[in-house]
Amino acid sequence: MASSAAHGAVAPPRTGRPTGRPTGRRPGRRAPLALLLKCGSVGVFLLAWYAATRSGWISPVFLPSPGDVLAQATALLRSGDLLNAVLVSSGRVFAGFALAGLVAVPLGIVMAVWWPARAIMDPFVSLLRPLPSITWIPLTILWLGIGESQKVAIVFLGSWIYVLFYTLASVRRVDPILIRAARNLGASDFAVMTQVILPASLPGIIAGLKITLAISWSCVLSAEMIAAQTGLGALIWQGKDWGDLATVLVGMVGISITVLVADGLAERLERLLLPWERHRRP
Amino acid sequence: MPPILAAEHVSKTFQVGRDEPLLAVRNLSLQVEEGEFVCLLGASGCGKTTVLNMFAGFTQPTQGRVLLRDRPITGIEPRCGVVFQSYALFHWKTVQGNVEFGLRMQGVARAERRRRAAHFIELVKLGGFERRYPAELSGGMQQRVTLARILAADPEVLLMDEPFAALDAMTRQVMQEELLRIQESSGKTVLFITHSIDEALILADRIVVMSALPGQVKAILPNRLPRPRHVSVQLSAEYARLKAEVWKEVGFEVRPADALPRSPDRR
Repeated sequence: MASSAAHGAVAPPRTGRPTGRPTGRRPGRRAPLALLLKCGSVGVFLLAWYAATRSGWISPVFLPSPGDVLAQATALLRSGDLLNAVLVSSGRVFAGFALAGLVAVPLGIVMAVWWPARAIMDPFVSLLRPLPSITWIPLTILWLGIGESQKVAIVFLGSWIYVLFYTLASVRRVDPILIRAARNLGASDFAVMTQVILPASLPGIIAGLKITLAISWSCVLSAEMIAAQTGLGALIWQGKDWGDLATVLVGMVGISITVLVADGLAERLERLLLPWERHRRP
Repeated sequence: MPPILAAEHVSKTFQVGRDEPLLAVRNLSLQVEEGEFVCLLGASGCGKTTVLNMFAGFTQPTQGRVLLRDRPITGIEPRCGVVFQSYALFHWKTVQGNVEFGLRMQGVARAERRRRAAHFIELVKLGGFERRYPAELSGGMQQRVTLARILAADPEVLLMDEPFAALDAMTRQVMQEELLRIQESSGKTVLFITHSIDEALILADRIVVMSALPGQVKAILPNRLPRPRHVSVQLSAEYARLKAEVWKEVGFEVRPADALPRSPDRR
């Protein structure tokens, strides 16, 4: 969200008209230097890693060299195993995450606007919230086996409560004066909901979904490490079992890149859905 | 003909937590005639906003009645359009979307909505900004949008709650001039809240001076400054004489009132 605000600040006005609000910071000027520093820090890190493994200072049993990791990454890419693992894990995350959104966003809205729903749900929410998703693994395996539905269930169980909290908080934070203004302009209950409460709370709901997406990823990986043949978590765990640390590291880097790509997509979607937000944040 | 707006012996008490109930308005009676521009003048926390909120139907009086065309106001009343001090614009809608909102709620067809919104956007001199979001506009421009939004919805009465208080002095003057122009050409009834004697003198046909805690009517002063009016009316001798007269009523209210709490209903 911060980066979208920065975009708003540097973007030139679309028409020649004054906007009435000066654009404050100019982060653009520092960008080339920052890029240089980023490349430099990564370069130094890789060099140190290379030197440490090459000199024998760290045994390859504990840390493979960058070259080994690269070779293993190429091999896994060639065989299609890496891409397959990424796709399988992404599919599980997406299914569980979407299910969490479909259940928890409407539930959060209802709880926010109708207090009896809040009262009914409150004890369950309080008790379920402290449970990490891995604690659900024994029960879900018993109920669902170790197939796809169990992985999706783990993602769902670990994610929905966060979506619920963010939705609940965003809806309750809607400025009541906006609701008054809408009613004063003749809005019905339904119009207040669809025209005011939903759009006003949407930025908060989407921010919550973005944070939950990262949580969903950690859920799927824990599930895959405990009981799965496929997916990035399984790839890492198999690498560990075979003493193949290069595969473990490839899997870890694969997770980072996949989550970064997912974040980037979410960011784009957010900007598309909330065109007004880029002007709001200072 | 009965007055368009009336308050009959209205009192309003607020219960905040376990504190002693706060009497915000006591036995207030007020009548506003159709087409009249009435300013409710008083210091901060004197219950002006509470009175306006009762006319809008946001709150109900504890005692007495508020009436619109002789009918009690019991719920939020779209015929009394409110212009909020904090603008209350829908920041996810463009200028156009905001101005069209009331028409949309009334079920006006899209093409007609466009046409009427365009008219009012022109009227408040925001032509060319239709597709901008409120956050892209200055405070003065945002307040123009709220004005256009409420005018497009075409309520019978405009209730304005210190709408220009957050603007700088020069922008405020321009906005007062535009409001005079719009009100004089449309003939709308306006109940306008202000704590500025100058603002009341520039705008009003009648000035209702309120005293604080509990809020009640202290004096009602007719303002016979000529119409059509212009902000330059401030330079006339008659203006200075009237201002002295209002100051006599307000003066001793303002000084102690600065230390008083604001009414809990106010946002």
